[in-house]
Amino acid sequence: MIRFLAISFLAIVTLASCSLKTTEGLRQVHFNKEAVGNPYFSNPEIDYVYKAKIEVYKKNFGGILIIKKTGPESHRVVFTTEFGSKLFDFQFEGDTFTKHFIVDDLDKKFIVNILKDDFRLLVNEKAQVLAVYESENHRIYKTTSGDRFNFYFLEDETEQLQKIVNTTKTKEKVEIDFTSHEGNIADFISIKHKNIKLSINLEKFKNE
Amino acid sequence: MLFFIAFSSSIQAQETAMSASEIVAFKGKVIASAKTTKTIKTDFVQYKHLDFLADDVKTSGKMVFKAPNLVKWEYTNPYQYSVIFKEDQLLINDGGTKSKVDIGNSKLFKKLNQLIVNSVKGNMFNDADFTVSFFKSPKYNKAVFIPKDKKIAGYIASFELLFNKDDAQVFEVKMVEPSQDFTRIVFSNRTLNSTINDSVFSN
Repeated sequence: MIRFLAISFLAIVTLASCSLKTTEGLRQVHFNKEAVGNPYFSNPEIDYVYKAKIEVYKKNFGGILIIKKTGPESHRVVFTTEFGSKLFDFQFEGDTFTKHFIVDDLDKKFIVNILKDDFRLLVNEKAQVLAVYESENHRIYKTTSGDRFNFYFLEDETEQLQKIVNTTKTKEKVEIDFTSHEGNIADFISIKHKNIKLSINLEKFKNE
Repeated sequence: MLFFIAFSSSIQAQETAMSASEIVAFKGKVIASAKTTKTIKTDFVQYKHLDFLADDVKTSGKMVFKAPNLVKWEYTNPYQYSVIFKEDQLLINDGGTKSKVDIGNSKLFKKLNQLIVNSVKGNMFNDADFTVSFFKSPKYNKAVFIPKDKKIAGYIASFELLFNKDDAQVFEVKMVEPSQDFTRIVFSNRTLNSTINDSVFSN
């Protein structure tokens, strides 16, 4: 019995100390919104083209990231070098992931999985809301995907999506920050990993 | 009248294969021109064509070449990015972030870089790794390179160079991927054999 208590107590302590940072100190509120969305890659008329800078374990790579909405639930995501050679070409259609092309050097399961998860999170347009929290300037919508959670941070006044945080039950894994100056176009996007030294910075091509 | 315009433009676009003697003459002209070309300075516009896009992705900048094998590609629009090909290294400056890539031990990468360097000069007809065919049109001469190596063929279906008829200089490079998406680079405002300091090729 004492052993059981001790284990329970220990479990409670460990669980408590592992509570998720994302919603720490935030007030949960009632909500009437069923779905939360990401508008930044939702217009099929637009070619979304970004200069990309990737830093992985202190090594730098550059390239061009091209995203296009190609169907009601479908996005094409292509990464090329500055010279135009494709490094990978992915398609997300609902839950289906298609690898159209990837260079040999990147074609490793763990790399493909990271890229797949990051870009799925980036282009995913809608998710069902599980809970809503309030901070000083944001309304935060909790959604689920697989065994992970995504928290969408919408600015109070503008209702603009500013941040998505991907977490497990206890830990933040990936954070995407959006900077937008007009409407539904993200001028800057930063994707940061919390458990590996990987960050991707994107800057939208300016129209001439 | 419309018919006439359509007809004449189809004539212009028409390409025919060069005869054996035309090939010999053409190669000779390109090699002679490459030999006297010590430096090249040129502007370029790059178009990346992906089938699913509404418009090609357009970037532009300047290219500098100094014989025998120094090349600098500098993109200035819409971003700043430069690559210097120097011996077995790439010196990259990505909007202020500088890095170095060793290509000495990557055969594929070396080949791709060699292609870029040689295509600037146009003189790559002796490359044993490609099957080359030659075409002519009223406006240009064209050489099409198809890789023999399976690994390279996985990245490049063909590589095309378009040459001016008069001075045998390359004015367009096109790299077609197995998916048929392609990259097209068009040169303009070319200056030949001006003095270019070696310091241009350091990061």
